[in-house]
Amino acid sequence: MSRSLMVVAAAAAVMLAACGEIDQTAKTEKVYAGKKDARAADGSQFGGDKKKWEATLAQRSNAQNEYLRTDVKK
Amino acid sequence: MARMKFICDAERCIECNGCVTACKNEHEVPWGVNRRRLVTVNDGKPGERSISVACMHCNDAPCMAVCPVDCFYKTEEGVVLHDKDLCIGCGYCFYACPFGAPQFPQAGAFGLRGKMDKCTFCAGGPEENSTEAEFKKYGRNRLAEGKLPACAEMCSTKALLAGDGNVIASIYKQRAKTRKKGPEVWGWAMAYKEDANIAAQEVKS
Repeated sequence: MSRSLMVVAAAAAVMLAACGEIDQTAKTEKVYAGKKDARAADGSQFGGDKKKWEATLAQRSNAQNEYLRTDVKK
Repeated sequence: MARMKFICDAERCIECNGCVTACKNEHEVPWGVNRRRLVTVNDGKPGERSISVACMHCNDAPCMAVCPVDCFYKTEEGVVLHDKDLCIGCGYCFYACPFGAPQFPQAGAFGLRGKMDKCTFCAGGPEENSTEAEFKKYGRNRLAEGKLPACAEMCSTKALLAGDGNVIASIYKQRAKTRKKGPEVWGWAMAYKEDANIAAQEVKS
């Protein structure tokens, strides 16, 4: 009796072996392995002046809002 | 500085393909590679809507997560870029991207798949700013010139907005309030589902 029980238990263990879920989450943070890039503000036009670059870009971004250009009441 | 983002206003897009053409021209993108493209839903039927799609420069970009050679990086402004010298053209990023942004040159024989190419938010890549080398590999670096992406600046109806996420979100919000529309707007039900009535009241108030 105990022998047949052991056989059944062993068979169940083999058959259910694939049912377990292995954690597939990456354990380490990905680190960029390529070349270092210069900042956008570091080009010849702004010479590293990030404040000036941000102001220029903000002006461009806001220019996309035609409500500001056409003086329509908000 | 917040993160750089694109928003496409489906209520304004007229499917002119101006953004696609501007991108192709600005970066001299080769045949078979489309950094930006238009997707039209219910084409030819009343109520059809188009949106301009390219790399969305995700906060948690799946392309970065799956790259086996770690060639992706994110700039201070949240623009997702990659190093073409490191890319092996495996195509994993293409399968991971929900927007189909990564593109591969297909002009070669025997199904040749070259290095991945995608929208750079007109920010070039890991080469010295505004150089010949940067242009050849990644296209023009408009951001270093203090300009927004060519696609958005070229958009005739200003359907495609680009720039600081907070700024373009406020532009879009003002539009939504001015239209005074609610659940009849395309995509509303998809976005808000059962909260559609509550959200509609918030916009109208």
